[in-house]
Amino acid sequence: MRQRTPLSRIRATLLLMTLVGLTAGSSCLPKSPSESGGAVNITVYGFSIMKESLEKAIYPAFTAKVKREHSLDVRFTSSFAGSETVTNQIIAGVKAQIAILSIERDAERLRDHKDVTSDWHALPQKGIVNKTPFVILVRKGNPKGIHDFPDLAKPGIKLIHPDPVSSGGAMWSILAIYGSELVKSEKQSGDADRTRALQTLQAVWRNVISTPGSAREARTQFESGYGDALITYELDALLMKQANGNVDADVIIPEATIFSEHPAVVIDRNVSITERPFVNAFMQYLWSEEAQRAFVKFHFRSSTDEALNRENKELATIKYPFSVDYFGGWDKAYPEIIEGIFRDSVQNRK
Amino acid sequence: MKLGSIRHVRGFDVARPVSIAVMLGIMLPLVLLPLLSIFVFGTSKGLGVFWASLVAPDAVFALKLSIVTSFWATVFNVVFGLFGAYVLSRYDFWGRNAVIVTISLPTAIPTAVAGFALLLLWGRYGMIGKFFSEDHQIMFTPYAIILANIFVTFPLAFGVIKPVFDTMSRSLEEASATIGATRWQTFWHVTLPSLRGAIFSGALLTFARAVGEFGSTILVSGNLAGRTQTAPLYIFAKFNEGQIEAANAIAVVLALLSFVIFSVLFFARDWLEFETQES
Repeated sequence: MRQRTPLSRIRATLLLMTLVGLTAGSSCLPKSPSESGGAVNITVYGFSIMKESLEKAIYPAFTAKVKREHSLDVRFTSSFAGSETVTNQIIAGVKAQIAILSIERDAERLRDHKDVTSDWHALPQKGIVNKTPFVILVRKGNPKGIHDFPDLAKPGIKLIHPDPVSSGGAMWSILAIYGSELVKSEKQSGDADRTRALQTLQAVWRNVISTPGSAREARTQFESGYGDALITYELDALLMKQANGNVDADVIIPEATIFSEHPAVVIDRNVSITERPFVNAFMQYLWSEEAQRAFVKFHFRSSTDEALNRENKELATIKYPFSVDYFGGWDKAYPEIIEGIFRDSVQNRK
Repeated sequence: MKLGSIRHVRGFDVARPVSIAVMLGIMLPLVLLPLLSIFVFGTSKGLGVFWASLVAPDAVFALKLSIVTSFWATVFNVVFGLFGAYVLSRYDFWGRNAVIVTISLPTAIPTAVAGFALLLLWGRYGMIGKFFSEDHQIMFTPYAIILANIFVTFPLAFGVIKPVFDTMSRSLEEASATIGATRWQTFWHVTLPSLRGAIFSGALLTFARAVGEFGSTILVSGNLAGRTQTAPLYIFAKFNEGQIEAANAIAVVLALLSFVIFSVLFFARDWLEFETQES
């Protein structure tokens, strides 16, 4: 009954498979939607919480501006992950042209690997695009009575804290808890109490039940109903409330907390001469009033003009704010606090 | 069937509904409900949102990229699996068993290790990658995804084809040789047709596994939306952003795809094996 030989059926199968492959790709590999049409493409790698403000406000505004002023098309492709992850990817060879990182130490690592050869300190605000304080998110009505970092050490609290191995936000959070106790004790007695700070950090870390890879992942876990509290960027807390009006969370503002400062750097290795003017223009645009205002709208704090911050009524007032300069910058804070205090004395890695 | 009908005459066999219920009861929380939840959450905000998530440019690209990279990995691994199985079942040589074991290793190696190993080899500072210029690096391009897919699915097609080679009667091949066919003619006209079923199921298995690959891809691809982000990476990114509907919409597509693949596998295997015996 069969007219076809087995061989012709194999041929038919192979032909069919080839057709599947070709129709799926219409060439050997699929064409990227961002590559079509002769537009200049800028590739940005950002730490996790940059996504909303960049994709919803900064990219479209800059694209429109270039179109308006020069009749040229600019397109953006981007990837977002924990700051450490982004930095490691770029060191490993990812073709990012601009990186917006959570901590300056990551920019220094990129410089050490010759990925960044220009000096970001020469950019406006020493390369810091925006900043945001660290706050505590708790469940609605604050059932566990959490009002400041030491309350997170109470027995039975389940804390979600991003992983300092991959997340810059996690490092800021550690500096926030530790520094907050130092600053407060200094205000009270005139002396920074290092023992008290260390004990608080140790006690808080005993209550950590999960360490997600990035601040954004930590937020998704908390949103899914897991944990009693989450230490995070103020902007992420506000974005979460904005995204979901009936979200089951309250924002707690610690008495003393750190302002994280986020540097933007050009990955010079990956920028060609023709792309350079666009990349530079975008970098300068980040500090323009328009962009800074957009950041504030997405709950960041402006790094250029404090007055802009007043436009966002939801931004909290911090009683005792401090920055990484309180520890002498990242050059000191990383080895002394993250490695010396956190890794060795809190996690007992020594 | 006979046994069942005899028992049926004797009366109602309690073991039958109970064992079926126990089996389904075990499967329910472990497999069935998780699968169902993908469909429920994927469509929870209405079919409009579901459709919009599916046709989002980055989502479409991610699916295409997954299909194309998996396709090329499948082509390679089926051709190699065929060749490797032929060599290893026809020739005995020193270290043959070591090669067979090595081919199977990627099954047990964590996929993240596979990705990491590729980076150590092909990356900018890798053993081979350092000899490539900046513009010709293959890590963080779609080719890196194909390499990762080839690695993690390496044993699948081989594993299906090799046993068929081993058990194949060689009398037909010998007959073919006696009537003057060349080695290539024998292979093409005699050996290959009886491997049809194995090639087909090996290819589908490889493809299904490659489409779902995550652990190695996230390390070697760069995860760039619209460029090097495959469907599983897209799902992970959307999940992390809290866009559960968008993540689930693509998950539904992947789930349906594997459903189709394994249905074809299940029904076509019988058909292909039947045909093979007939011919």
